[in-house]
Amino acid sequence: MDEGYQAGVVFAALTPSDKLRDAAVALKKLGFFVETMTGFEYTDTQEVVYHFNCFLEPKSRLALRVLCGEGMGVPSLADLFAGAIWLEREVHEFFGIAFDGAPDLRRLLLPEDADYYPLKKTFGTVQAFRKRDEIYG
Amino acid sequence: MAEKFPQPVVDQIYTLNLGPQHPSTHGVLRVLLDLDGEIIIKADPVIGYGHRGHEKMGENRLYKQFMPNTSRMDYLSGMIFNHGYCLAVEKLANIEVPERARYIRVICSELNRISSHLLWFGTYVMDLGGFTPFLYAFDDREQILDILDRVSGSRLTYSYCRFGGVTADIDYEFVDQTRAFLKRLRSRWPDYHNLVTKNVIFIHRTRDVGVISPQLAQEYGVTGPSLRAAGIPFDMRKIEPYEVYDRFDFEIPVGTKGDALDRYYVRMEEMEQSCRIIEQALDGLPKGPFINDEVPSSLKPPKGEVYFAFESARGQTGYYLVSDGSKYPYRCHIRVPSFGNLNVLTEVLRGTLVADAISILGSVDVVIPEIDR
Repeated sequence: MDEGYQAGVVFAALTPSDKLRDAAVALKKLGFFVETMTGFEYTDTQEVVYHFNCFLEPKSRLALRVLCGEGMGVPSLADLFAGAIWLEREVHEFFGIAFDGAPDLRRLLLPEDADYYPLKKTFGTVQAFRKRDEIYG
Repeated sequence: MAEKFPQPVVDQIYTLNLGPQHPSTHGVLRVLLDLDGEIIIKADPVIGYGHRGHEKMGENRLYKQFMPNTSRMDYLSGMIFNHGYCLAVEKLANIEVPERARYIRVICSELNRISSHLLWFGTYVMDLGGFTPFLYAFDDREQILDILDRVSGSRLTYSYCRFGGVTADIDYEFVDQTRAFLKRLRSRWPDYHNLVTKNVIFIHRTRDVGVISPQLAQEYGVTGPSLRAAGIPFDMRKIEPYEVYDRFDFEIPVGTKGDALDRYYVRMEEMEQSCRIIEQALDGLPKGPFINDEVPSSLKPPKGEVYFAFESARGQTGYYLVSDGSKYPYRCHIRVPSFGNLNVLTEVLRGTLVADAISILGSVDVVIPEIDR
């Protein structure tokens, strides 16, 4: 097995939220697309992870990780990648993370009047709610 | 004197609800169409009717207990979803898999891929008004379900794979049945092509309809046959070879224009390529154990994360698992191909006719419970 690709990505970069859009513009020019986007919740912070991949280059998946504290937003990529609109709607409804400049943050998979964020670690049955360093430290 | 009826207002735009229950939307999909006469001005797919919270369930179950959930997302390629989940966890926990098990999994996954494509073929042509091919396709698909039923005990939601192998070994009868099925399926291709591929009505309903260009695919993250129809050979089995796919000789069929007809061609050719893989895997099937007995049933993978991508019948699927060292994953996210493939329709459906919308929806082959998760 390819050692450098053990976690399924070429690299994962912790990106400051004000640099995210610059990185996304550069990646779009290189032919990358947003493969998926998901959120994380820790006791001390929240995080959005973007996985980018490229159709033309094998094994080119990379991850951008953006930390966002409670109540802070992440810049939206909806104007760069139209597919990000739905992904941002999903992360927003599951984690309550706001996307600055997102054109549409209606509920996507949940009922439109849902006033809960089901993937938050304070909702429902939860096995573990940890600090970020306990997993990635 | 004839009564004068009120004339409709010029430029009248109205909203039509396609679904949530409509014969041509497989699963509960609702599409809000803004129409000007028969032309679609705006299409807004409304999803979530089948949302069950698989990701939340994944965080509250042992790694092994999540196995049945995986085949209930895309219920038409449940075996491939099981397979991918096993591979993801095996990578996370560094589990060795015996050679024989790897081959068995590939054979079953490819059989599952054919059955998924056959179901798509039948229902798609039925959407377009042809009922007979549906019966042919379901007849053939039934053979696969019988074969997989014998080894796994289920027809759709298999849960056949296990970390480190499969639940039960295959026997000579399985091999014979599979070989007989491949022979039979190949003898049916001429029927399929005579009935559908060369059918002029079918061609007119699909050619130049619903074009998904590579640029559009990049914006929306379209993968699978819908992307390959646009000419990009992006298939996880070749791009990031997993399991033993790199040992087999097979091709990635691609189209040129990216219209519904190309998507049809790509899927039909993919079935033949799957037959080739199965044949080679049956020929090279090694002897030995079918499962690694040393895998504990409550697995505790080391701290870390893995993003594992594989090719399901609809496109690139990925499991993103994060372990905190305990019995339960800290985060379990699933990237599903139909999500992007349906999302792109907001753009593709604009400016088309309602009748074409049915054709486009069918040709993209979305499975709604997979999107809703």
